[in-house]
Amino acid sequence: MTTVLVLLLLALGTYLVAVIEDWTCRGHFRLSAPLTAGIALLGRESIVPRKPDRIFFEVGPVLLLISAVLAATVIPLTPDLIITDLATGALFINAALVYVLVALLMAGWGPDGAYAMVGGWRFLGQLIAYAMLIVMPITAVAMRAESLLTTQIVVSQSGLWNILYQPVGFVLFFVASMALAFLPPFDLPTAKGELAGGVEAEYSGARLAVFRLGRLTLIITLAAATVVFYLGGWQGPWLPPWAWSAIKILVVTAVMLTAGRYMPRIRETDLLGWCWMFGIPLALFNIFLVGVLVLVFP
Amino acid sequence: MTAQMFFISFFGIAAVWFGIVVFRTFSMVRSALALLFSQTALGAMFLSMQAEFLGVLQIMMMATEMSIMAIFMVMFMMDPGGLGEMDMTHQKRLSLGAGIVSFVAAVAIAVFVDWGPAASSAPDAAQQTVDLGLELLGRSMLIFETAGITILTAMIAATAVAIQPVKRSNEHEH
Amino acid sequence: MSIELLLALITGAALFGVGVYGALSQTNLVMIMMGVELILAGAMVNLVAFWRYLHPDNPAGQMFVLIIMTVMAIEMAVGFGVAIARFRAKGSVEMEEATELKG
Repeated sequence: MTTVLVLLLLALGTYLVAVIEDWTCRGHFRLSAPLTAGIALLGRESIVPRKPDRIFFEVGPVLLLISAVLAATVIPLTPDLIITDLATGALFINAALVYVLVALLMAGWGPDGAYAMVGGWRFLGQLIAYAMLIVMPITAVAMRAESLLTTQIVVSQSGLWNILYQPVGFVLFFVASMALAFLPPFDLPTAKGELAGGVEAEYSGARLAVFRLGRLTLIITLAAATVVFYLGGWQGPWLPPWAWSAIKILVVTAVMLTAGRYMPRIRETDLLGWCWMFGIPLALFNIFLVGVLVLVFP
Repeated sequence: MTAQMFFISFFGIAAVWFGIVVFRTFSMVRSALALLFSQTALGAMFLSMQAEFLGVLQIMMMATEMSIMAIFMVMFMMDPGGLGEMDMTHQKRLSLGAGIVSFVAAVAIAVFVDWGPAASSAPDAAQQTVDLGLELLGRSMLIFETAGITILTAMIAATAVAIQPVKRSNEHEH
Repeated sequence: MSIELLLALITGAALFGVGVYGALSQTNLVMIMMGVELILAGAMVNLVAFWRYLHPDNPAGQMFVLIIMTVMAIEMAVGFGVAIARFRAKGSVEMEEATELKG
């Protein structure tokens, strides 16, 4: 029962993300836009390119969707509204989201196209840049909660939200999760201007619809993870828990979609250099600082 | 047949099957990703053996590791797409024999040794994580730290071996 | 003894056998490394099975698995370092061509 409810909410959230993306990107607020766009995509022919690696070509978009949904299973919307409260929840989110990389590699290699392949391998480089910046801030969050349970992590923020307790970790995690969801300015694998769509380039019709759906689900899952790790999850005054979760998740999604809109796309080498030269030392400093804080103010 | 037995054998067969696919396919990306799915099936097997932390960790680490494997395969193999169906093996009979002999020997040991009574239950996952953390930073700290230092050394050594040697004669031109 | 332990040990043995076959039969350095990874994976299954069915109260068994994972990562790092250096020097990482190692 909870599972079905959470999945329905996830689908609703994904729809709203599509609406928000349309709104922030083009400036039109139309509730029906994703529906019509989806029907249009499903109606179009789904072309299979010449000499594809058929297994990868078919599995890539589906795996993207599956990994995003799997990551959402350990995210609590209210104290009870969670599919499975794993004892290693904070690690499991990360484990599920690594398969986004595998999905993009498959989608890049499968269709036997140059742009797609460049996009897929680019995302591998991007992973090497952002992966540590996902893991290390989560480590600091788990240190404060003294648990890997996601519900426990939310409860640990009842006094002070983690965004104020460890702001450095929040900034790093937020930027890294934008890189994970390949949102602008980190949209290297699907760069519209230079790669003509990158990994998306060879997909069309129903397969492209699944790919886009997976990407939107990924965005809302990451926003929900940010809320759980840094913004106090379901906690807040006056309103019921589910309302707070929904408001926070939608606000974070809107910020994620808007933040990078006005920046130029980052070069792969710059991204790697900045992440390893500034990001990782900052993340280590954050872990150290949180360790001291946890010992001083238990 | 319990659920645990079913899942162990299911994921075990999946792991071995993908392990065999690694050496049977001609496409190098398929080969690397088959190894990834073999390792992922092992992670699922750990989960069904109630080693939750290890299972999740295995699933997480191997995805990155094997994807990096895939790009190195594409870089260094002569025919990464596998369209030429090139044979990349040697001493086939010897290695097949060695593989079968080691498999049979290991199975024989597993069957004939008296392992003693099996434990019926394991501690729950949260307790396991706590125990493992205390073990790593308590009694086994020296081993754990040695592993950390070793991996740092390996990283530095691998980078030192791999970076392009600087050509002295070209220095004046830049 | 329990059937579950036996099943896990047989899986480990099969992975070990496949890994030995791969490490011996492949001509490319990267493929040989994949064989070694499978051998280590077989060892890992055995360790988890021993921990679960023989000593579930001793977390040192789990720590061994972490050490094996470290060994896998080290093997990858060093192996790829050597592969890059050799590719740069000789233009290939085919082990049939590495005859200078015969001495």
